[in-house]
Amino acid sequence: MKQHKGKIIAAFLILCVLAAAYLWGGNYAGKDTPYQAETPSGTVMTENSPSSELPELPELLEVEGAKSLAEAPGDLGARGEAAETGTDKNTPMPNAAVKPAETENPETSAPSQDDQWKDSSKGVSDGSVSYSEEQGMILDAETNKDKYLTDPVPEGKPVPVEPQDMTPGEAAYAATLSVRCDTILDNMKHLDKEKVELVPEDGVIFPATKVTFYEGESVFNVLQREMKKAKIHMEFRNTPIYNSAYIMGINNLYEFDVGELSGWMYKVNDWFPNYGVSRYQLKEGDVVEFVYTCNLGRDVGGHYATRGEE
Amino acid sequence: MKDTFSTYHPAVNFLYFTLVLLFTMFFMHPACLGISLLCAFCYSVYLNGKKALRFNVKYMLPMLVVTALINPAFNHEGGTILAYLRDGNPLTLESITYGIAAAVMLITVICWFSCYNAVMTSDKFVYLFGRVIPALSLILSMTLRFVPRFKAQLKVVSNAQRCVGRDVSNGSLLQRAKNGIRILSVMVTWALENAIETADSMKSRGYGLPGRTAFSIYRFDRRDKNAMLFLALCGGYILSGTLMGGLYWRYFPTMKGVGLTPYPASLYFCYLALCLMPVVINMKEDRKWKAIQSKI
Repeated sequence: MKQHKGKIIAAFLILCVLAAAYLWGGNYAGKDTPYQAETPSGTVMTENSPSSELPELPELLEVEGAKSLAEAPGDLGARGEAAETGTDKNTPMPNAAVKPAETENPETSAPSQDDQWKDSSKGVSDGSVSYSEEQGMILDAETNKDKYLTDPVPEGKPVPVEPQDMTPGEAAYAATLSVRCDTILDNMKHLDKEKVELVPEDGVIFPATKVTFYEGESVFNVLQREMKKAKIHMEFRNTPIYNSAYIMGINNLYEFDVGELSGWMYKVNDWFPNYGVSRYQLKEGDVVEFVYTCNLGRDVGGHYATRGEE
Repeated sequence: MKDTFSTYHPAVNFLYFTLVLLFTMFFMHPACLGISLLCAFCYSVYLNGKKALRFNVKYMLPMLVVTALINPAFNHEGGTILAYLRDGNPLTLESITYGIAAAVMLITVICWFSCYNAVMTSDKFVYLFGRVIPALSLILSMTLRFVPRFKAQLKVVSNAQRCVGRDVSNGSLLQRAKNGIRILSVMVTWALENAIETADSMKSRGYGLPGRTAFSIYRFDRRDKNAMLFLALCGGYILSGTLMGGLYWRYFPTMKGVGLTPYPASLYFCYLALCLMPVVINMKEDRKWKAIQSKI
């Protein structure tokens, strides 16, 4: 016994260190609040001057709340349809280009499709294989994913366009772009304390503004140009496997700055695309919103629950 | 020039290098980095003379430049945008300064380790830790000695092979490769056998057994006590100062930190005194020696 005293002490010390690392590490912002459409929508904001957003918030809340309630049955219907076709075994994976820490997803073992969609955010609906193929997406017969690992898109949504296939043109169009990080305001205690000063009081980094874009440009092109113009810092990384840029940080607010489930996401016309920013070709009048999530999309309504690899 | 600091008790040497290395690795404040770099450079040149100077200029300087340039190429964080790189990411002032700071830290630590190797010989290390962690300290001292010993033996073996015309400089390309492999095989055999021999010889001498005493020529006298006290005081003051935020500096998102107000300045001064301790001791001893010599 005396001989092994040192070894026992060493083992105990290692255990202590591991326990401490487990308890202290991973500043997970786990306030699991379901999405209630509480953020002002970009569409409404554009009609007013950007400076008067805050006073109008209560009004917007009501409008948005009613809207989301009204839309809910429709969503359910769409999902039911998708299930009926029986071909949709696929699961939209977290957005390749704007969702961090896919592996951290706690729902990886959700057994059936119904459970899976219960865990996803409202407004996130299953993709339709037939619709996506009609629109020109080439899906793998076995996995139902295209060659950049993207699941089929839901009906009525645009399919991804590869950046190398986009033909630039001269014609100018208008879209609305905004960048917000108001979810950080609820999770201030998890925010890297050196970055507190970077979060605006109202959470708006770039107010909803009408911006011009040219034919064949993607969401990424517009974001890059506007951030450069507005002198706002933005860092991205090209990820060849998803054939898209990944937005790492805007205004020096980076992924993982508010816990390990945080990062930037984007939505166009209130839909969180399940593919990257460089592959979303813009149309006239699109409303693009970049939002910061602190909880893998749950807090902004863009959470895609996934099953594990099949 | 003789290094007087090496003649101090091993505990003093070890404490000094632990403090200096830890502080260098953890303090990213520009003033601390500058102080540490300066002192490490001075001491390494004092210890190893021209060789250290050549090494520092030939390898450390290019390493500093390369490391400093790599950072802004991959790191684009920071509030001050200077320009945009060709791929569209911003080039920021913060990433450049952070790159320089990290590069300085890297070469300073390497420089300190070169001093450590010259001062903390393996017998000192084994003297300090042979009782507490016998196996580990033997392994550490053997590993640390491995590279220089391997190099020396390699020279011996390759010279012997050259005598019989089988060195890497003899023959055709294929022949050279063959000779090289033979030398490598000789070296590996030697290294393994050597390790086993060392272990066996240590075991037969009863290394690490309870009740075994070891002869050592180290004495902890008043000089060592004073040095130890000085190190503990300086280290404690700097450590408490850091915990109170006296050496606070951040690089991202914008550079900010404590400047040259009296309290941080006292910490810098203390840090300088700590890092310069061996050089000051050596210079004092040199002067004393010269004074005594001239009297005769």
